[in-house]
Amino acid sequence: MSGWLLRRSLQAVLTYFVAVSLIFFLMRLVPGDPLARLSDDRPMPPEAIAALRARYGLDQPATRQFLVFVTQLMRGDLGRSIERGGLPVTALVTERLPATLLLGGSALLLNLTLGLWLGAWQATHRGTRGERAVGAISLALYAMPSFWLGLVLAWAFGIKLRWLPVAFMTSPWLRPGASFAARAMDVLPHLVLPVLTLTLVTLGATARYQRGALTEALALVTVRAARSRGLSESVIRWRYAWRAAVGPMLALFGLWLPMLVAGSVFVETIFVWPGLGSLAADAIASRDYPVIMGTTLLVSAAVVGGNLLADVLHRWLDPRLRDA
Amino acid sequence: MRGRPLFLTLCLFSSGPSLAAQQPIGTGTLVVAGPREALSPVPTLWRNEQFNREISDLIFLRLADVGPEVSTTNERSFLPRLARRWTRRDPRTLVFELDPRATWQDGRPVTAMDAAFALNRARDPKLSPQLATLLRRISTVTANDARHLTVRFTEAYPEQLYDAVYHAPPLPAHLLASIIPESLATSAFIQQPVGNGPYRLSRRAPGTLLELAADTSFFLGTPAVRRILFLVAADGEARLNLLLSGTVDAVDNIYALPNPGRIDKLPDFFYYPVPGLNLQYATLNLRNPADTSQPHPILADPVLRRALVLAFDRETVSKLAFGPFTRTPSAPVSALVGRNAAAPPTLPYDTALARRLLATRGWLDHDGDGMLDKDGRKLQLTAMVPAPVAPRRQMSAQMQEAYRRFGIELLIEPLDIPVFIERRDAGKFDLDFYAVTQDPTPAGLSQSWSCAAPTTTNAGHYCNPIVDSLIAKAAVTSPDPGPLYREAVRRIADDVPAIFIAAQVPVIALHRRFTNVTLRPESLWADVWQWSVVPGQQLERDRQ
Repeated sequence: MSGWLLRRSLQAVLTYFVAVSLIFFLMRLVPGDPLARLSDDRPMPPEAIAALRARYGLDQPATRQFLVFVTQLMRGDLGRSIERGGLPVTALVTERLPATLLLGGSALLLNLTLGLWLGAWQATHRGTRGERAVGAISLALYAMPSFWLGLVLAWAFGIKLRWLPVAFMTSPWLRPGASFAARAMDVLPHLVLPVLTLTLVTLGATARYQRGALTEALALVTVRAARSRGLSESVIRWRYAWRAAVGPMLALFGLWLPMLVAGSVFVETIFVWPGLGSLAADAIASRDYPVIMGTTLLVSAAVVGGNLLADVLHRWLDPRLRDA
Repeated sequence: MRGRPLFLTLCLFSSGPSLAAQQPIGTGTLVVAGPREALSPVPTLWRNEQFNREISDLIFLRLADVGPEVSTTNERSFLPRLARRWTRRDPRTLVFELDPRATWQDGRPVTAMDAAFALNRARDPKLSPQLATLLRRISTVTANDARHLTVRFTEAYPEQLYDAVYHAPPLPAHLLASIIPESLATSAFIQQPVGNGPYRLSRRAPGTLLELAADTSFFLGTPAVRRILFLVAADGEARLNLLLSGTVDAVDNIYALPNPGRIDKLPDFFYYPVPGLNLQYATLNLRNPADTSQPHPILADPVLRRALVLAFDRETVSKLAFGPFTRTPSAPVSALVGRNAAAPPTLPYDTALARRLLATRGWLDHDGDGMLDKDGRKLQLTAMVPAPVAPRRQMSAQMQEAYRRFGIELLIEPLDIPVFIERRDAGKFDLDFYAVTQDPTPAGLSQSWSCAAPTTTNAGHYCNPIVDSLIAKAAVTSPDPGPLYREAVRRIADDVPAIFIAAQVPVIALHRRFTNVTLRPESLWADVWQWSVVPGQQLERDRQ
């Protein structure tokens, strides 16, 4: 196991490095100058633009810029934002990360809890009218664009009923010195609509994966043998079938994990959630290379780390893989 | 629309500075939703950006403000602020006397050294390249003593006072002189600026909000609206939701929001049309995109350009995109600048005349395919449009359809904004859909519509030496350069260097509990310190 873990970890590190390097160079191949907007309304002298280009290292060849990026990264420095007047990217990312983790983490938790339960229920109630209805509804939700669903939810619960806030992570009236409890009570209602939107549009996929995996598992010889031994349906379902079905679910967890970091740009935009998704989208639109790389580092880490974690858990739970 | 007429909005500019002193203290909270975050609301640190200027103008006062009619050449219309008076020593020298009551928010007096510090910082091309260009006619700035500032100019011209006061309000030299000038943009001062205006920055949540609190020691009177929250919502739908859910008191242009028909009759709101500085147009590239040293094979012909304008119903399109108050200009003048440099009547929508003009140039449907052609070549043009900007995408589609019916093929090329600008700067386009925020002075025309203007602002390579000389002459003509500016504008209109589509008049939705309301065209919220809330109409947030 330890040899496998070492190999797998090295593979993950290599994948991460290649992904980050590719994004670094691809962004510089995409047309569009990060300093183009400086002269929108008033002429900017060419020498001033040249000075800015030198300040951000944009006058250097891409390979040289990459070396500088890696060297700075070793020191924990992600550079300075071009679009945001030279603010440190580390500070920008750190400011936004908690909001993203809260939104993505809550949505992921709700998605997995509800999705697994719903999928298991569907697998054990196959062919019933209820199962077909739940399947159709979850598929319809999965097909819905998150921005559209978010707007509908905001209109219904925020504007018509006025039950929930339609934007931001905290109320504008919350004082900066508010206690943790007061802050938590304020964040909670703000979290409901964005989390609900993200959960509803992803729930269908989790439920369908779980339904498929569990349906296959319930047909396994081991499960049929357990049933023939007269074990209760609950024991068969959870001890035998569910354990066998967990592999595909862990793979799905590995795929969902980036949601924790990247969030959903659309959901963050509609609900004015101050997370990394909207920061990354703004940075891409303005070719703010340092901010793009700052957010990319986190998203790539989530993707690679999520897959590694899923592999490790899968191997740990499935003895057949351990022995292979 | 339940609106207040424009003239009423403008009449209200005359409110005096003593008004706020008569109001009860701390009776109101104003919550504004806007699309962008003010990252550096400190004078000399931002480009010509409305969102930074609007916050900056509440924290930092100018020596004098342009008056209600925003006439940059009429010195008598300027309102005293940090300077209580100014005198002209000679045609090239202005001397300001600072109000001794003015203090910084840390208690130190505002001095002439502070004003000199800011102006000299703005004039340094290494620190403020764009401002340095605008202030190139200021030769020296000297603090004679703590209360007297002398500004000398290279020549006599009518906008000396505007140049001296508008672009670089005083900065606290005692706090900033020790900071390396280049690092001011990333200094702690930006996070917690110390100003001298009616409000101080009290809170900032990155990407979300910025809160200003009234400065109770403000020398012109404590503001009755004791705090202002600027909420940032880049998405129009989100701003719409904030308004409809009662979270905000104001949005800065209801016609910038999707489906404005949902919000133009809300009973709790007044609607204020304010002539703006924004101008929307389709630049016509006068140079060949394949070889910018050569004239454009189609668009170099002024008659054809005129026909393109005539064949497009700009008035209908601009009102659809930007609301009923929007004007259709004939020349590059925003609604505000147009008040002081009136443009000639705009060309009508006249497809018959357009067709006749094109026929005189040989553009006819020779092969009967419905498209105009000449010497076997179709009348085909490409228009690039910034893909993320919905109104411009909408206008480009309408233009494409109008021209298709007319017999001109217009190909639309939606581009990412940085790519759009890169292509524009390189002159690689036929038409582009562009927007500009002008300075509130007709002298600013030279920034984009002169032979000397760089391609970054004059992408179509427009050049008419007569226009240049008229603008240059107007810039030094006193007391009334208006006729010269009008002539320059008329000539630009005659040359048709662009299809001028919309001079925006944004409509501000503002909760009706506010009274003494004045909205300044060049900086919407700058006079909030003179507003108050109607007694008995306070909301819970006014009392919080």
